[in-house]
Amino acid sequence: MESYGVLLLYSRITMINIYEAQAANKRKSLAIMVLFVIFITASVYILSQAFSVYLGYQPGGLGFAGIALIISGLMSFGSYYYSDKIVLKISGAKPADRKRDFKFFTVAENLSIAAGLPKPKLYVIEDSAPNAFATGRDPEHAVVCATTGLIVKLNRTELEGVIAHELSHIKNYDIRLMSIVVVLVGMVALLGDFFLRMSFYGRGRGRKSGQVGAIILIVGLLFAILSPIIAKLIQLAVARQREFFADASSVAITRQPSGLISALKKISADHEPLEVANKATAHLYIVNPFKDKAKSGVGRFAGLFNTHPPMGQRIKALQKMV
Amino acid sequence: MMEIFLIAVAVILLIWVVTTYNFFVSSKARIKAAIQEIGNQLKRQANLIPNLQSSVKGYLKHEKRIFKDLTDARRAISSAVKSGDIQKMADAGAKLASVLPSLKIAVEDTPEIKGSKTVTNLMDELRDTADKVMYARRLVIDLTADYNVRRVKMPSAILASIFKFTEQPGLITPEKGEHVEVSSGDLKTPKVKL
Repeated sequence: MESYGVLLLYSRITMINIYEAQAANKRKSLAIMVLFVIFITASVYILSQAFSVYLGYQPGGLGFAGIALIISGLMSFGSYYYSDKIVLKISGAKPADRKRDFKFFTVAENLSIAAGLPKPKLYVIEDSAPNAFATGRDPEHAVVCATTGLIVKLNRTELEGVIAHELSHIKNYDIRLMSIVVVLVGMVALLGDFFLRMSFYGRGRGRKSGQVGAIILIVGLLFAILSPIIAKLIQLAVARQREFFADASSVAITRQPSGLISALKKISADHEPLEVANKATAHLYIVNPFKDKAKSGVGRFAGLFNTHPPMGQRIKALQKMV
Repeated sequence: MMEIFLIAVAVILLIWVVTTYNFFVSSKARIKAAIQEIGNQLKRQANLIPNLQSSVKGYLKHEKRIFKDLTDARRAISSAVKSGDIQKMADAGAKLASVLPSLKIAVEDTPEIKGSKTVTNLMDELRDTADKVMYARRLVIDLTADYNVRRVKMPSAILASIFKFTEQPGLITPEKGEHVEVSSGDLKTPKVKL
């Protein structure tokens, strides 16, 4: 009995209110973003230096970075600008109907009032695996999509938790943020690729010999190989941090952590995979649609490649909120 | 070099002043809109009630008091929305919210109505409209909290005092009274009879 009291006291101390939770999440998000920007700048700088050493003249380097940025930007522009339409097409979603999907429709309507957002377009995927996602470049072009499994299996309070999580992604401009991150990761990957190809085919003219040049070349080679992987890992860390942030913001809207907690438990206890999801759209969903596959992998490093934080950690973070 | 530095500092300062000023004025406008939204949702709620009444009245002839309360609450909402006074609107909404549970119990105790699809739909609609009012109020609370916190927090507090941004009242809740006190009854663990 006594130990229970101590435990209760301890849990009271570690409790945080939603304002603190949101502020902490904002700080963490910012820290990861700063790390990301520093890393991208450093990789671009080092690779450009290596380019100039390799080609034997100075101005070439940043020009390559510019080309890589433009190509990567063009490749991702479509997926950003038409994100709502593309994803809906891929997942075969149909517009929600107020009468048929009363619970989903009204919950989304009500929570957008609370979040101060225009009501997003609502879609339903015919699939019994419970899951949901949000996309769209800004609140005016936002889409929230739920599977029929989610609507049937969750009660109203749980559904409110999930939809508030999705609306938080919209309110925090997560789709825009992730698009920018993806463009920058793509740029570094392209730049590394250029460099590797060039040194592979050995078309360098007038190479500067000398120790400094050699060191820059070796560092450049190392960066060309490693930085796309590291950039990708930071990208996934950003995505996971944004999930925690959306969970905290969801509670700030509903003020009921219990709803989202029991929804997450229900969704993760359901082992049915979502058929319409694929690797390109997996990061959008509230819970990784390839649930069981995500768990396999070797030890602690497997976590680095996940698009979502482990369910246990998310629930623990929510349980601390009051 | 020094000049460039000074210009940069001035530009950053100017951007900060403009964005902070804009935060205060747009928050004020959003709070006002959010208060109107409460009225809008209450009106929607008031309009739903006659439909509900007419569909359950036949079954619940003996529950005259509930219907009288419902009609009163509806009237209170209409006049409060017309007056535009946020406090009156909040009171009227609370009045209706206190009648609905007894109606719900009456409906659930009467199997013939419980089975009726129109009544179930209407009860769902009522729960929904009550949620809408609640969330509209939540928005006012959140917006005013944001505004008032920025108003007293440094460094934005400097601007707030320069431009004389006053505290926003939001939803007025008396700071004393039953709702902030704990009675001895509240301290007992609730017993659930099954």
